[in-house]
Amino acid sequence: MRTTADIFTYKNTSQQERAKGGPLAGKRVVIQPNMCARGWLTDAGSRALEGFIALEDATVVARLREAGAQLAGSARMGELGFGLKGDTGAQAIAAGEADIALITDTMGEARVAAAAHGLFAFKASFGVISRFGLVGLVPSIESWGVLARDLEDIIAVMRAVTGKDENDPSMPDEEPPDLSNIGGPLMKGQTAGVIKECLGGLSVEEVRLFQTGLERLEQAGFTMQEVSFQDFGLFRVVHNVIGSVEASSSAGKYDGVRYGHRASSAKHWNEMYLNTRGESFGTLIKEYLFQGAYFQFENYRAFENACRIRGRLVRDTADLFKNVSVLAFPTRRLGLNAAAATSAREVYDAFSLTLPANITGQPALHVPSFARGPEGDMGMQLAAPRLADAGLLEIGKVLASAMSGAERK
Amino acid sequence: MKYEAVIGLEIHVQLNAATKLFCDCPNRPGDEPNRNTCPVCLWLPGALPKLSREALEKATLACLALNCTIQPESAFDQKVYYYPDLPKGFQLSQHHKPLARNGWIDIIGEDGKQKRLRIHHIHMEEDVAKLVHEMEGRTPVSLVDFNRAGTPLIEIVSEPDMRSPYDAMEYVKALRTQLRYTGSADCSMEQGTLRVDANISLRPFGTDELNTKVEVKNMNSIRNVGDAIAYEIVRQGECLDRDEPIVLHTRLWDPEKRVTMPMRGKFSGPCVPDPSVARIVVTDDWLKDIRRRLPEMPGRKAERFSKEYGLTPEEASNMSQEREISEFFEEVARQGIPPRKAASWITTHLVPALRDRDVTITETPLTSGRFARLLAILETGVINAHAAKEVLLQLLASDRSPDEIVEKGKYRQVSDNSELEAIVDKILADHPSDVDDFRGGNAKVMGFLMGLAMKASGGKANPRLLKEIFTKKLG
Repeated sequence: MRTTADIFTYKNTSQQERAKGGPLAGKRVVIQPNMCARGWLTDAGSRALEGFIALEDATVVARLREAGAQLAGSARMGELGFGLKGDTGAQAIAAGEADIALITDTMGEARVAAAAHGLFAFKASFGVISRFGLVGLVPSIESWGVLARDLEDIIAVMRAVTGKDENDPSMPDEEPPDLSNIGGPLMKGQTAGVIKECLGGLSVEEVRLFQTGLERLEQAGFTMQEVSFQDFGLFRVVHNVIGSVEASSSAGKYDGVRYGHRASSAKHWNEMYLNTRGESFGTLIKEYLFQGAYFQFENYRAFENACRIRGRLVRDTADLFKNVSVLAFPTRRLGLNAAAATSAREVYDAFSLTLPANITGQPALHVPSFARGPEGDMGMQLAAPRLADAGLLEIGKVLASAMSGAERK
Repeated sequence: MKYEAVIGLEIHVQLNAATKLFCDCPNRPGDEPNRNTCPVCLWLPGALPKLSREALEKATLACLALNCTIQPESAFDQKVYYYPDLPKGFQLSQHHKPLARNGWIDIIGEDGKQKRLRIHHIHMEEDVAKLVHEMEGRTPVSLVDFNRAGTPLIEIVSEPDMRSPYDAMEYVKALRTQLRYTGSADCSMEQGTLRVDANISLRPFGTDELNTKVEVKNMNSIRNVGDAIAYEIVRQGECLDRDEPIVLHTRLWDPEKRVTMPMRGKFSGPCVPDPSVARIVVTDDWLKDIRRRLPEMPGRKAERFSKEYGLTPEEASNMSQEREISEFFEEVARQGIPPRKAASWITTHLVPALRDRDVTITETPLTSGRFARLLAILETGVINAHAAKEVLLQLLASDRSPDEIVEKGKYRQVSDNSELEAIVDKILADHPSDVDDFRGGNAKVMGFLMGLAMKASGGKANPRLLKEIFTKKLG
């Protein structure tokens, strides 16, 4: 069992928020040090931001406070939010230190972390939650992920944080999903699509386990339908190229000039940069940043192609929803421990089933225990069309009650 | 061998918007170092850029003034390079999708004919911070002042249509006139709010090849732009004559030694679309609104001044080069002052006086009404031209009326015959030899005698009457 100090980089002992009412009153929320909370260490898990104290609250943090949430503290996280190495947000809930955890979901971190701890996790549609105050890495792909044992807590958080923010003009000019009325019974005639090519990459045993999850979906009222998506394998490639390029740009500001670690000596500015950045970044993120710099400086064509293919993947995915209401995926592969990944390739291996929703900007919900076997919980992941967050959470409620019913039996 | 120069200019112009391009910090780079900064322009973790509406409007106005087509959609890219004056490892610039394309400026060429110089595109970008290198005791230190970081710029990229230093200088002058007219930029090369980079290559006359170019920077006046280009043309010509290849690189103009010196290889980093800055999508209504704000531009205004006020082409051009002067002239003319007289007084007396004081009209108490009144008094003969000049200088310093200044300063011209005759008699008596000279046929002596009489009257004599009296008495 981990100790409190292992879980938190900052533990909030202030009593101020406790008495406050609101829809999240009494709920303890743990955030990560890449989310700005005024006065808290915000180093994004990297020496590059060593000692950086946030000057103001991220919009999400401010809205949580307004809704009466009690900010329990800031968990540990993988460097700059790439992968799950060292992440403790889910553990904070497992250890009873928090009811809700916020984790950036850039390739599926929130959903995969939840799968390891029997929690629900929700990744919102891209662009419906302000990124103001998020120390981001991959701005066109990353999203906020919410984890909790109880889906109602996730819904309450989503209600509190979703919606326009004048501090984030990059949010698309569209109506954010209306989450005010989630709760009716599952509508008749819901169809869940299963992508054939996705199953093609799984082991026989994984397919069998996932099938048991699909059967439970059927029992909950879904009609199942197999669909084909020939380019499924391209999601990973596109994510890797675009993600690494954006990461390389985003991390460009970590130069030791204004904050963070700075190398102790250098003969000139160029050496100061090299030494500072060399000392600041860990090997895993360095590998990823190198990949991005390669595409930026040496193979820009590949980046352009990836952007174009991304557009096609978004359109083709939207087409699938003409015939199905949601897409069902396993959340993770068995036997791959995302937290233990030591190379960019291993990180991508661990998130190959969750990252498509990050590429398309769709909402995705991880439901625990639907596909659990002796080797662990593969997780049932449902993805809905972009901006259909409310409908997806509603489906989640039905599955949650089916689940608790099953447990009672 | 004889070569033809092919010259293109890249001109950075700082917009005079109230704030920086992506945050609400004041756009005042000259303030106390690092005073005008915030999490956005320091690019602190968690900050997000917010595009300034005013900067976008001023940029658009500038593009329209240079006859460009505003693009329906434009967007910002990250121009990646690492330098301490760049707080985030990339500069936000519209590389792939610029705000405007396909403009032009007309100049009068060296042959006296109109020449149209094309503009390839105009894009918006943010300026970088300023590096200050100092000594702290005996240790050299480099300091960064982020006041300038994020201030709004437009970059105007010409086609390589210029063929001589003259063309380039005229292009810069015309561009500056047009931009100042819009009120969106101050365009001072001395203060660095207009910066010119010149790309120069040579080719044999009669060919249309585009050879390897050399970029020259650091010219802080239009004159230096011409001199640097002229120097570079000679230098490259000598290289080619010696069969030395021209290598793509950047050179700095040294205004002291008056030569260009190699600085570095020309660097071009990658440009990646930025996902955090909102795309700019221009609607028809918005564009119409900006177009309405575009003033009558100098070329058209000069034509109108010729037609409506009967100015000569040169007078019309003088009266329309600067928007403030042009508006002032027109207000004066509309108050019944003969337009050519107003133009002449503005050019020969008002403009030099403003230049001496390094001010613009609005920075002085002078109004068109008081200036018109001064010329009206002059016209009626109450004061003479000499006194009018004196009164004008006082109008630049106080807000008293011309009439009051004339009365208090005793500038009223002396038109009393007996008073003037007494002066003339005394001068004739004191200078008998000059009188003889004149009577002997030397007409120039009249001017000398007039000068003496004017001086004796304290500059207030009515010159017409004075001359009449002299002519009568010497006749």
